[in-house]
Amino acid sequence: MSETKKTVHGIMAEFTSVDSLLSACRRIRDAGYTKTDAFTPFPVHGIDKALGIKPTKLPWIALVGGVSGTLIALTMQIWMNGIDYKYIISGKPYISLPAFMPVAFELTILLASFGAFFGMWALNGLPRFSNPMFTDPRFDRATDDRFFLYIDARDARYDSEGVRKLFADTGSEYINEVIEDDTPTKIPKPIFMVWGTMVAASVIPLLVVLTMRVTNSSQPRFHVFPDMDFSPAKDAQMSTSLFVDNRSMRPDVPGTVARGQMEESLDVLTGIDSEKLAQIDAPRADRLVRAYFFDDEVAKAEEVAEVTEAEGEAAAPSVMDTTPWVKEIPIKVDAALIEKGQQQFGIYCSVCHGLNGRGNGLVNQRAQSINSPTWVPPSNMHQDSLYSDKYPDGKLYSTITNGIRKMPGYAGQIKLRDRWAIVAYVRALQKSQNASIDLVPPSQKAAVEKAVADAKAELERQAAEAEKAEAERKAKEEKEKAEAAAKDAPAE
Amino acid sequence: MSEHAAPDIKPADHPAFQLPASLSALQTPLLFGGIVALLGGLLIGMFVSYMQPDMPRFGMSAYLTAFLYVLTVVLGGLFFVMIQHLVRAGWSVVVRRIAEFLMLMVIPLAILFVPIILSLFFPNSLFAWTDPDFYTEHGISQSVADQKGYFLWEPFFAIRAVFYFFVWAILAMFFWRGSTEQDETGEVAATERMQAWAGPGIIAFALTLSFAAFDWGMSLAPMWFSTMFGVYMFAGGILGAHCAITLGTYLLQRNGAMKDEVTPEHYHDLGKYIFGFTFFWTYIAFSQYMLIWYGNIPEETEWFFYRQEGAFGTLSLALIFFHWLIPFLGTMPRHIRRNPHVMAFWAAYILVMHFVDIYWIVMPEARLLDGSMATFGGIFGVLASLLCVAGMSSLIVGLILKLAGDNRLVPVRDPRLGESLAFENI
Repeated sequence: MSETKKTVHGIMAEFTSVDSLLSACRRIRDAGYTKTDAFTPFPVHGIDKALGIKPTKLPWIALVGGVSGTLIALTMQIWMNGIDYKYIISGKPYISLPAFMPVAFELTILLASFGAFFGMWALNGLPRFSNPMFTDPRFDRATDDRFFLYIDARDARYDSEGVRKLFADTGSEYINEVIEDDTPTKIPKPIFMVWGTMVAASVIPLLVVLTMRVTNSSQPRFHVFPDMDFSPAKDAQMSTSLFVDNRSMRPDVPGTVARGQMEESLDVLTGIDSEKLAQIDAPRADRLVRAYFFDDEVAKAEEVAEVTEAEGEAAAPSVMDTTPWVKEIPIKVDAALIEKGQQQFGIYCSVCHGLNGRGNGLVNQRAQSINSPTWVPPSNMHQDSLYSDKYPDGKLYSTITNGIRKMPGYAGQIKLRDRWAIVAYVRALQKSQNASIDLVPPSQKAAVEKAVADAKAELERQAAEAEKAEAERKAKEEKEKAEAAAKDAPAE
Repeated sequence: MSEHAAPDIKPADHPAFQLPASLSALQTPLLFGGIVALLGGLLIGMFVSYMQPDMPRFGMSAYLTAFLYVLTVVLGGLFFVMIQHLVRAGWSVVVRRIAEFLMLMVIPLAILFVPIILSLFFPNSLFAWTDPDFYTEHGISQSVADQKGYFLWEPFFAIRAVFYFFVWAILAMFFWRGSTEQDETGEVAATERMQAWAGPGIIAFALTLSFAAFDWGMSLAPMWFSTMFGVYMFAGGILGAHCAITLGTYLLQRNGAMKDEVTPEHYHDLGKYIFGFTFFWTYIAFSQYMLIWYGNIPEETEWFFYRQEGAFGTLSLALIFFHWLIPFLGTMPRHIRRNPHVMAFWAAYILVMHFVDIYWIVMPEARLLDGSMATFGGIFGVLASLLCVAGMSSLIVGLILKLAGDNRLVPVRDPRLGESLAFENI
């Protein structure tokens, strides 16, 4: 040992057996020392008690870790899947506890283990690279066949002589002061070099990537993950041998409804009062549900066939008359809807039915002019039998949807709500051609009456003119006749 | 490990290893009371079946509940003995004999299985598939019925049952004789022999237990299946066995036997097992539930459906809290596991909950399989179930006491006895 004064950390004593160690432990515990430690080559049961070490706080740290794991997992999943980004998975509710349990369980275990592992580090003051105990070469035998007991100099009762005496009393044959470790604390250069090399090397991949990003190359691309770059997934319209129909783009499973697309009731979908229908004709109501809610193609075809063909049959009460149609448009009617209806009517209906709905659109005019033999003239919408009291809104909607006589169904071209919009517009159109003057607001009544009077006067004037022209024409004819007669007469 | 402060091994004929007189006096009352209660419970159960024609299987189901309750705990004892030999455990030697008493009870249980075999002769008296019309009444196609019929066929079922009991009885007898003969001879070779056979024994045990659970528990709902079911029954049984060992040890010590041999250290280890297996049971039960819940296939969800409705829905929730949460938190702190009195309480508590678990497995299937909801069967139904389980348990405890009276309570010449006596956790 060098002569210079060194910090004394405490005093250690060596023992040769577990029993002598344990009795010494009890002695120093009873003497009131608390900052003590024992070093043994293997775990010695009962040494905690012998040294008077209090039960560890570690279980509490693990418990706190575990409980926070549970709470973090549940909060995270409820927030993610139930609040922030609502997403239906496997038809379960957004917040479905059973599905959250596995993650909660795993995170509980993870954080409890972290709590136990790092809590143990913290409680033991780890990581610690050196201990002053190592200064004594005899201490090496603590890993072999010797037991050591240590009293720290910071203990309130510490007194060098007293401790030595106490250890001597316990039968220890080797007692020594634990002094400051004077081995160099400088980290050897090779460690720095290895560390520095590794840091430098770790930058290389990053540099390679950066270089590639800013330079051009005629070489083919370097594929880090070829199976991701050349995915075996099929594109739309490609064929595949995997399915019988060779389509790689799979049709929707029957009953599939895109999100937000199934907000309508059966009444809105079909124009039929389904509750009434269920009372009158339960099998058909059932078929409608299958057709519209479960996309059953067979049921749909049957329904369309029944509705469109029934009109052609003269046979006893047609399905068009027996069906309990929805009496009024089942969606909200406002100005916007009617405007939409006007636009859609102009696009799809007016070509045949005419912009005014009198059934004389361009197609009709052309068909008439070429005397098409198969042409069935479109209906004039301004007739009694098509007014809402005889032809309910639902029936009109159904006609637009499924077609009638020569008119095809427009379900494929016109959106559901737009078909109802057309119904609304047609009703407005009908009213426009058959309205009483009382419906006109009083402020405009005078103007309308004046216009009507003007129109009447104009009509009368035209009628008078026509009468006059007729009279003139007749007079002219008579005159011509008389002249002709006069011409003929002399010739005889 | 360390030999310091080890209590001396007492001579083999020391009174500490004998069954205390206060307990042996209970033999006869328990045996006779057990038989009377069991028969009474069965009769009342049959009466309930008779009065409520929509529950033809109720009476025998109450019996099966009691039977499976005791059997799972007894088989847990067999597993405990084998696993201790397999891993050469030293700590458990002082309590191992109690598990050995438990495991030997598979032999009387084989006799108590006779009524269940007899029920096969009366269609629909316990297992719905014994009804020849079962498949047609439930619209199950003939091909499925044929496939099921290979396995759920009365003669094959009976042969399997005989085989299971044969395997268990062979295992139980082997480990019992090895242990008790060592009491006399003290030969170390017996321990080595048992250790060598523990591995194959555990494999045979795992397979037979799984299939027995499929046969006697799962086939109650003939169209339902869960590969987890055998493990589930095992989880409840091994938990019950640890509780039975703890409670048995505690009662023996209270009555003056093995006072110095079993210390808080042993209770601590048994407590760790109870704590761990409480969660293991939950883990298995939830694994079984979650996969079925997530898959949401009608043929699988059916089983849970009848346990989520009505009174059994409440019971399912009760299982979560009273079979898992409360005992889990209750046995979590170390100082509780080191306290024999508190651990004895938790052991008794979990043994009661294990019965609730078995009841929850068996009784909903006592209803008519026509979509009607499961019930407890009224006052008489509950009485029948309780009498059956009380009777069966008393009978088995009485037999254990009889066995214990004729043998030592500790393997007195086991080579690891010293290690067990000196065992310390910390």
